[in-house]
Amino acid sequence: MSAFAELVDGGVRLAIPLLVASAGELVSERAGVLNMSVEGIMLTGAFAGAVGAHTTGSASAGLLCALVAGLLAAALQAVLSVTLRADQIVTGVAANALALGATTYGARLYFTEGRTVPGFDPVALPLLSDIPVIGPALFDQSVLGYGCVLLTVLLAVLFGRRTGFGLAVTAIGADAETADRSGLPVNAVRFGAVLLVGVTSALAGAHLALADVHAFTDNLTAGAGYLAVAAVIAGRWRAWPTLAACAFFGLAQALQFAAPAFGIHLPTAVLVMSPYLLAVVAVSGLVGASRAPAGLTRPFAREARA
Amino acid sequence: MRRDLLVYGGAVLVAVLVGLALAAGGGAAPDVAGRALWDGMFGSPYAFGSALNTTAVLALIATGFTIAHRAGLVNVGGEGQMALGGIAATAVGVSLPAGTPAVLALTALLIAGFAGGALWAGVAAWLRVRRGVNEVITTLLLNFVGLCLVLLAVHEEALLRQPVTSADTLPQSEPLVEAARLPLLGPPESPATIAIVLAAVSVIVAALLLRHTATGTRLTAVGMSEPAAARLGLPVGRLQAGSLAVAGGLAGVAGATLIATVPYVLAEHFTSGYGFTGLVVGLLARGSLTAVAGISLAFGLLASGGINLQLAAGVPAASVQVVQSVLIICVAGAVIFRKGAAR
Repeated sequence: MSAFAELVDGGVRLAIPLLVASAGELVSERAGVLNMSVEGIMLTGAFAGAVGAHTTGSASAGLLCALVAGLLAAALQAVLSVTLRADQIVTGVAANALALGATTYGARLYFTEGRTVPGFDPVALPLLSDIPVIGPALFDQSVLGYGCVLLTVLLAVLFGRRTGFGLAVTAIGADAETADRSGLPVNAVRFGAVLLVGVTSALAGAHLALADVHAFTDNLTAGAGYLAVAAVIAGRWRAWPTLAACAFFGLAQALQFAAPAFGIHLPTAVLVMSPYLLAVVAVSGLVGASRAPAGLTRPFAREARA
Repeated sequence: MRRDLLVYGGAVLVAVLVGLALAAGGGAAPDVAGRALWDGMFGSPYAFGSALNTTAVLALIATGFTIAHRAGLVNVGGEGQMALGGIAATAVGVSLPAGTPAVLALTALLIAGFAGGALWAGVAAWLRVRRGVNEVITTLLLNFVGLCLVLLAVHEEALLRQPVTSADTLPQSEPLVEAARLPLLGPPESPATIAIVLAAVSVIVAALLLRHTATGTRLTAVGMSEPAAARLGLPVGRLQAGSLAVAGGLAGVAGATLIATVPYVLAEHFTSGYGFTGLVVGLLARGSLTAVAGISLAFGLLASGGINLQLAAGVPAASVQVVQSVLIICVAGAVIFRKGAAR
């Protein structure tokens, strides 16, 4: 495989979890709930997936465990940030610490001998995977990888800017009071959006553990969840730019390993920091206006008067 | 007030129960685990000394957080500001001439740390004041950039990496010159440095500043209502930017104290999450600097106890992290149960 094809391949592999996680997070942030806990839910999903697959010997059972665990973690976050109206950033960061601590603790106790687990193997799609360069990169994924992409597309279509769902979500994130007066179930939608983040983040985590490395290591996600949130911010809460941000972040990560083959000798740190730098530039409004949903991180209660 | 006590008491109770469950899950009887935790906190001068050093770092960050929070800003960027403070302090600490008097060297080191952190927070402050960008998002993102800058600094010989002599040369800076190392407090075998004194002074000065000076009152006014403060003729932008810069500066000083204690080098991951823990201390304290001091000490002791919990009782040290985050989630989640809780 040429160095370029390898870069694209690595980039796509690293971008898939970011893509699916940020697809869910995008919906949730447009509805006004910021989930810093994407990282923690991903890690929880990865851990539960690995434990499930290891115990049963079946990767599909592992995936199921990951989804259940992700939903439970997201339900906790939803109760905190929607029902109890707690500070979303604080509880999110705390949930990440909780997930990191709990999975590290759990892994110490559970994985006493070896940490490799059964996972999903790549399935090459006939014909499509023969296209040079992008063929092997895009069409030689695992079933889980295809599933992630499919879900991303589904969410993008379902919650597009002109569909009923999409408009409802945008309205709730922009002005919860008005949305409530016009009869939209504000907190139910927000609760659901956080649960959706649970599903997408758990899928992303399971992809890392079961389709990518086939093992669980402490802090497996290593900030990928924060990257997914950064992608939504860098993409200025729009679907296509978010997709582009995910692709860029994936490529930047892959470039760390592929750079020498191109004769590029950039320090790793520069590549690692580039996604975050890009996100800062994007929110700073230096390139066009950045429009965060007006109600982002503002909890809603009907009797509340600001 | 009574509700506050109930919430905090309940949170501590839940956290203790979770801790006991984790200890039992790790195969340690409650008394064994408790003994190990206690020994890790107070059992030896070494344990208590390192707990004090951690306390100092947390208290510095949480004090800065409280000052910025008074002006209505949430500084999530402690980790990155520490990183920049550490880099600046290292740059000064390795390049001072050998004969520099310790007082001068330490002053230079701490000022550099403050400047590094303040500069990093200044980026977020500038964006907030000039372009109205939410400081929570920028400070959070800048954490990761700051941590990468540490990585860059210790991997590039042109920056701060020690000269590479063999393949085994670690990616870290040269050790600081003798004069720039923080003096120990004194007790034998205790690693406690004067950082704790520095932190105590900062807490007291900040408390006096916020409570008894015009600046403190102005910051409070800005925090309560920006438009009202602006109409009163207060320089809202300057007050906010200043408070955030001071918050960053104190985090930078915290980073500098970490560099100026054993092993006196800048290395990857030297901030080890203190920035986030410091933020949590600040949030739990909810504006009270007395609470900042108390909670910092409690968390410092817990961190030191957790290490011994793993060494002596075989319970993974991660359980301390779990207990801390359960505590935060309980306190943060109970916000609507507290009467007149300030958000």
